[in-house]
Amino acid sequence: MEACTAVAREIEKVLTKFTSYSDHASNTITSLHSNIENLQTEIDQVGADKNITDPQASILNEAMGRVKEAVTRLSSDHRDLHSSVSKVGKAIDKNFTADFGCISNDSVFSGDKQQLVNEVICQHFFREGLLDIAEEFISETGLELQEESREPFFELNRILAALKARDLGPALQWAEENREKLRAQNSSLEFKLHRLAYINLIKEGPLSVGQAIEYARVHFTPFVYQHEKVIQSLMGCLLYVKGGLENSPYSDLLSPHQWSEICDVFTRDACSLLGLSVDSSLAVCVNAGCTALPVLLNIKQVMQQRAVHNMWNTKEELPIEIDLGPSSRYHSIFACPILRQQSTETNPPMRLICGHVISRDALNKLTTSAKLKCPYCPVEQNPADAVQIFF
Amino acid sequence: MYTYDPMVSCISESPEVTNMPFWLGTARVVRLHTETLEPFFFGGARLLGLWSEASELSHLPAKWARYSHAGEGGRHESMADVSSIEHPTLKVPYDVLNKKFRLAQKTLDREVCHVTTAVSELERILFTDNQSASQISSLLGGVVEKLSSFKRKAEEATQEEVECGRVVKRRVEHLRGHDAPSPATVAEWRRTRLDRLLVEYLLRAGCYSTATKLASSRGIEGLTNLDVFLVAREVEQSLALHDTSKCLTWCHDNKSKLRKLNSSLEFNVRMQEYIELVKGDRRMDAIRHARKYFTGQEPHHLPSIQRCMALIAFPANTDVSPYKELLSPSRWDLLISQFRSENLKLYQLSSQSAFSVVVQSGLSALKTPHCYRGATGHNPDCPVCQPALNALASPLPYAHCSQSRLVCHISGDQLNENNQPLMLPNGYVYGEKALRQMASENNDTIVCPRSRQTFNIRDAEKVFVM
Ligand SMILES: [Zn+2]
Ligand SMILES: [Zn+2]
Repeated sequence: MEACTAVAREIEKVLTKFTSYSDHASNTITSLHSNIENLQTEIDQVGADKNITDPQASILNEAMGRVKEAVTRLSSDHRDLHSSVSKVGKAIDKNFTADFGCISNDSVFSGDKQQLVNEVICQHFFREGLLDIAEEFISETGLELQEESREPFFELNRILAALKARDLGPALQWAEENREKLRAQNSSLEFKLHRLAYINLIKEGPLSVGQAIEYARVHFTPFVYQHEKVIQSLMGCLLYVKGGLENSPYSDLLSPHQWSEICDVFTRDACSLLGLSVDSSLAVCVNAGCTALPVLLNIKQVMQQRAVHNMWNTKEELPIEIDLGPSSRYHSIFACPILRQQSTETNPPMRLICGHVISRDALNKLTTSAKLKCPYCPVEQNPADAVQIFF
Repeated sequence: MYTYDPMVSCISESPEVTNMPFWLGTARVVRLHTETLEPFFFGGARLLGLWSEASELSHLPAKWARYSHAGEGGRHESMADVSSIEHPTLKVPYDVLNKKFRLAQKTLDREVCHVTTAVSELERILFTDNQSASQISSLLGGVVEKLSSFKRKAEEATQEEVECGRVVKRRVEHLRGHDAPSPATVAEWRRTRLDRLLVEYLLRAGCYSTATKLASSRGIEGLTNLDVFLVAREVEQSLALHDTSKCLTWCHDNKSKLRKLNSSLEFNVRMQEYIELVKGDRRMDAIRHARKYFTGQEPHHLPSIQRCMALIAFPANTDVSPYKELLSPSRWDLLISQFRSENLKLYQLSSQSAFSVVVQSGLSALKTPHCYRGATGHNPDCPVCQPALNALASPLPYAHCSQSRLVCHISGDQLNENNQPLMLPNGYVYGEKALRQMASENNDTIVCPRSRQTFNIRDAEKVFVM
């Protein structure tokens, strides 16, 4: 936090100084102004064709000296503010990195790669529902996108917009059309939508109870096996409709949280059905990059001090481990606990008969005269018994 | 059990045993330590091949060896990521403030001058014998008038300075939101960050209209450097129409900074004007132009000037180099690109957008060999597995990982002591939870999702990963 605080402190000082300078200047000039206007009135009383008296002349002389001094002082006071202004610039330069560009390699995104970058950006706009911006972008860049790459987003966004406006219709229709596929991926989206529609009916009060029961009869039956308990509680709440659900054990059915939850469930299940990622890939990537960048800048500095170049011109690995947190782990990575390296096609993970896993290279190194002693348990074994495993 | 120690990064074989389970006795074990790494790692020429020697050297040791990201969703994301990419967010409005300050100072100095001139006139009269009241009164009126003007100008100027200062302040305050206590606020802040990065990228890519639309639809105009780029756009457009006036005005407005940067932009623009005169066969005008703008130039411009002067001797359709090149219309494109890069330098903007830098770092930090092993390894949620990003990431390095991080291929959940990895007889490993669920729905039978073979859950074996 201190980087922002340092700059905030300096800019606050500048603003205070400018404001008080402004007040001071205004007061000074106002008083000079009225002072001289008074003198002018006094001299006007002397009479147009007469000369002024000597004391008047000396008063005038003195007043003029004051005017000169005051305005010159105001100008130099302003000039003195510059040191405060430049402190802001220094605080920015000291606390923020200007040259982050050294980390990247411009050839990676330039030339014909630009088209790919544009594609990624456009997908992001579609995914965020910024359809007009996406269209503007396409017309400005002349990007050619396959029609099917935008189609799913149109529909998803339309349905999500309806859900956010508390309209279940389009989502229910979509869920019915995709019932088989949703069932195959164990989704309870359709049931959850019906459940919400039922809750909506109950909310309308005792008069709608009949309608709610009818709705439940038609729509809950196919889900009785999977969601029996939920259905029981949904029917149970009918007992309290008269007294008001707000004060019943079922009050949480009324919570607005139900709506944000259904939006999440819909996004997750629909994306997985369409083979799309749940979050915008670009957003995930940028957040990961924002975490990684300071570490890379830091290591780059260390490497430059020690004359190591070429952080990026390589197909190998980054020089440092960057843990993005469990939510950003998409693939299993096996790092051999003995060699401290990631496994590769040629050096895959091997499971020893005791269950411990080490890499094939480590296994070969630890083998002496066709015998292998597991480094983690006392089991002595034949290295040929180890099997390659796939995470 | 052997625990992970970030201090340990290099491999050497040693008979010593430290930190090892007792049953290992005196067996030969592989031990890792840092001390042997230093001379290797930082020892000069060998370093250039740093990564290809990864198998012997492994990775950077000691205090930098592992950067941990605290907390799920990264609520406590390090402060550093704000200071890494937000320099232009603050420095550009600061430069604007600084420029306003200098303008204000100039205005004040001019007003002081007006006031003192009026005062001096009055003083001069006071030294003579002719001190007529009417004359003095009118001179006093002059002083009053200049003072009023001073007051008005000073107020205007400081008002503008304060406005500029407030822009900086608002941006700092926005940046402070990056570690707000509520995760929802942080998520929204990050979304805004992405939009800000995109706006800047779009501006650099020349997509002004998309950038402006995005900024206004998200209400972030004040947080981006839209203005700087929109001014630049006007200059670029006029240069593209072979009009130099806007570019010259820009050069004039930024005179002192351009001088500090040793910029040759203005000279090149003047040279282009000269070339156009020659092209239009207005050779006398060309010479007049040259006399006006080419004299008193820096000595290193001399060869260009001489070449230009020689141009007069050639017809406009000459085939002789370098005069043919001087007459080529592509020189206007060069001017545009020179202008573009000087404009970035002027505001200390990096030659690459923060967006590109951040996306590249992110791709690398996420990139795993699985992303390039065809459909079996593919995860639709992984950004690097998306086709376009996958192609973009291909020249970048993989993430480095010194400790296993296992994810269930079926559920995407982490594999750990609560969800142990189980191996099917074909060698494929899945999480216990996912396998048990599949078995319970299917009479203890499991279908391996990757090989389509069927097994009984009883044949799944435990796997221990250290
Ligand atoms: Zn073992
Ligand atoms: Zn991947």
